[in-house]
Amino acid sequence: MEGAVIGQSVPRLDSPAKAIGKADFTADLRFQGMLQAKILGSKHAHARISHIDTTLAERLPGVQAVITAKDAPAVRYGVYLKDEVLLAREKVCYLEEPVAAVAAVDEDCASEALALIRVEYEPLPAVFDPLEAMQPDAALIHQDSSSYKAVFPSVRYGNVCMYTRIEHGNVEEGLAAADLIVEDTFCTQPVHQCYLEPHAVVALFDASGKLTVWSSTQQVFVSQATLAEVLQIPMTKVRVINTYLGGGFGGKLNPWLEGIAALLARKSARPVKLVFNRLEEFMATQPRAPFIIELKTGVKRDGRIVVRVAKIIGDAGAYADHALGETAQAAVRVQGPYKIPHMRAEGFCVYTNKVNFGCYRGYGVPQAVFAAESQMDIIAERLGLDPLAFRAINLAEDGDLLPSGERLRCVSIKETMQTAAERADWMEKRVNKVAGRGIGIGNAYTNTGMLASSVFLRSNEDGTFQIFSGVVDIGTGANTILCQIAAEELGVPLEDVSIVSGDTDMAPYDLGSIATRVTYDTGNAVRLAAMDVKRQLFEIAAKRLEANIEDLEIGHRHIYVKGSPDKGVTVAEICQHGLYVEGGPIVGRGKFLGVPSFKTQPGEGYPLDPYPSFIFGTHIAEVEVDKDTGQVKVLRIVAVHDLGRAINPLAAMAQIEGGIGQGLGYVLTERMIFNEEGRVLNPTLLDYKVPTALDMPQMEVVILEYPDELAPFGAKGIGELPQICAPAAVANAVADAIGVRIRELPLTAEKILEALRQDSV
Amino acid sequence: MAKQQIRLKVNGETYEILVEPYITLLEALREELRLTGTKKGCDLGDCGTCTVLLEGKAVNSCLVLAIDARDKEVTTVEGLAQGGKMHPLQEAFIEHGAIQCGYCTPGMLLSAKALLDMNEHPSEEEVRAAIAGNLCRCTGYVRIVEAILAAAESLARRGNG
Repeated sequence: MEGAVIGQSVPRLDSPAKAIGKADFTADLRFQGMLQAKILGSKHAHARISHIDTTLAERLPGVQAVITAKDAPAVRYGVYLKDEVLLAREKVCYLEEPVAAVAAVDEDCASEALALIRVEYEPLPAVFDPLEAMQPDAALIHQDSSSYKAVFPSVRYGNVCMYTRIEHGNVEEGLAAADLIVEDTFCTQPVHQCYLEPHAVVALFDASGKLTVWSSTQQVFVSQATLAEVLQIPMTKVRVINTYLGGGFGGKLNPWLEGIAALLARKSARPVKLVFNRLEEFMATQPRAPFIIELKTGVKRDGRIVVRVAKIIGDAGAYADHALGETAQAAVRVQGPYKIPHMRAEGFCVYTNKVNFGCYRGYGVPQAVFAAESQMDIIAERLGLDPLAFRAINLAEDGDLLPSGERLRCVSIKETMQTAAERADWMEKRVNKVAGRGIGIGNAYTNTGMLASSVFLRSNEDGTFQIFSGVVDIGTGANTILCQIAAEELGVPLEDVSIVSGDTDMAPYDLGSIATRVTYDTGNAVRLAAMDVKRQLFEIAAKRLEANIEDLEIGHRHIYVKGSPDKGVTVAEICQHGLYVEGGPIVGRGKFLGVPSFKTQPGEGYPLDPYPSFIFGTHIAEVEVDKDTGQVKVLRIVAVHDLGRAINPLAAMAQIEGGIGQGLGYVLTERMIFNEEGRVLNPTLLDYKVPTALDMPQMEVVILEYPDELAPFGAKGIGELPQICAPAAVANAVADAIGVRIRELPLTAEKILEALRQDSV
Repeated sequence: MAKQQIRLKVNGETYEILVEPYITLLEALREELRLTGTKKGCDLGDCGTCTVLLEGKAVNSCLVLAIDARDKEVTTVEGLAQGGKMHPLQEAFIEHGAIQCGYCTPGMLLSAKALLDMNEHPSEEEVRAAIAGNLCRCTGYVRIVEAILAAAESLARRGNG
């Protein structure tokens, strides 16, 4: 029955509920006696808090609880480095950092109460530029950072919250052997994920003291563990649920809003809802970290790359958060899908007095690939080679080494690049140039498979099955894909499988819906659970049919002896037999942790674990630039991805198209503009400029399938890569169109006009 | 300011509610009538997630005061399906994979309905223009545009049949 469900473009299982407006997102929930919460943000980017007076706010009729740091256990938390606090304690490190919070009968009352809280600050010198923050005399943002716990062998000093140095080969030898050495510095801007659903939390304590939190989180188990940590209560007393999530893209990982809502719920003894507005989203959540990327690359005259020295400076903002991991990840991925025998990468993640930056679809890789692919074109031009021909000389192959010690597996970049070049008519368009138009390529790879997943799979007595998983379907179609994997393995129709997900009380641990990992990791766990269930079904059926297990097959909701499909028993009968006669209900379990076969050489201060597998892709973009206005119109993007195997091609294509849309915003229009006080000057969706339906180019999406034997049915996933390839391709196409290269994102009309003006001087 | 009693006609039903004059139609729908299918994304008219039909026209319900909608016909996503049967737009959105996280979906559906009610045979460009005020961060709009064009065809077929 192989192939019956896998590879089928089926509509997402949750789409009917969403289409009729009956999918409850967190902000839609309401409970008896529920209060509304608001957070008071700091009025300074860097200041000591000398006094907080909440008396007037507490007296306001309708206010049920006011909290400050003294209401929270003195715990610092964080994913890599435990430097964060729920509410500012003694000092604030960014504008709008939470200082106090209020729960009141309605939002208006809560807002009124915020205005009554008196906070006295002693302003401190603030630093907003990571290069300035790295200077020895810069104002220290975390005075006692050496006391913070790190979950990896951390190297840090001054405002640098992570220093890492990773290397392979011999860089000095490589530099000596190079015929041409090219050096460039690239800068990327802070961008917001702009998921349409703002952060939302509902927290309530039941009579037994157990906390239940409904949260717009991508990681229910991480939220559960963090809540237990920051509230100092056992994990069994914390349940985190997500029903539906209105997008996340990496922006809904850090669980601090949940903690504040929980503290208010505890103090008021009422359910508390906390929903961010769009202004708060832009001012106080975790946008993608901006990077400065210095690349020094040496090549031989024949086009072979021999060496690269990379320095990545990541702006962490006020707390290390995921910017730390992103900086390290960028240091590795800046190699690109190419052979580079000698490579050294240094990563510096630096505190500044801006909002703590986090991750956004690609985890440091979009920044790195914009820089690396831009420089590939610069070098090709210097060598007088076609950009594609230069890349072809250097393409990575299976077994090639990365500076982290990882070895690339399942490498298919040659195939994605060739396919993209053919579909985009690359040679023809490079040779017969049209004035004002340009074509550009973006090659990239990224990791898949990361940390642990586990699932339960149970049978019902009518022969249907249910998966219990800790992932959250954030809009990718993950739940549908997991059901497809289970149905395929069990040999039953898709409609016989359902899933319960996003609830820590209903499922075993799963890291969650991040990092292109769900198909690979949770998919493997589901498949293993289905195999476990199938084995149990066959054991019972073998007795009933007086046959050997190896001779049994499943199909058309029957289990039968091979060759005799008309004889046999129904799956439902076996499920019932298990339940009532044979040892109890059939429950399967699967767990998966993708441990790579190679050993790593982690270098100095490298925080990331090795990944088991990698995905590859190539985008080719065609653009038209109006030289009078600087406006860029993207005409067409050809996007070719090898995702191992498409479990649900419709869902995979949609993921790729969406990634292209986000990539276009990143490269052309989106940026958070901070002023000299650390304030975001464009905190609305209009001023920030998210692409609309009118900004989208023609897209040609091609899926290639080179199955990975370690992945479920070969399927490796797709999530982040489309957003990594597209900006690089567009940036190269713009440079091709205008004949000048801009090394700083986004490529706004102003910058293009300025570049053209300087070029013509 | 004193609360005012207003009559709202939503999805064919009449509701009498007491609201402050500054309450938006979005808040009235979500908080007073508990019709939470209409989503709040920005409260500034920038994202379109709160789009509803007011007298047949697509509006951002966060920019309309509830008292200004009194006695007018409002259609929300909950009113699209009729007699338990989904609107062809809803069917097309599901079938074409136009729904990912689903947060933009209700508003997107209503902008599309306003278009198709006015223009039975829209071009792709007209569809894109009609939903330009509805941001979607998941899809790149490809499948949404496809779904709306497919729904237009299916509606036209029904009309002719």
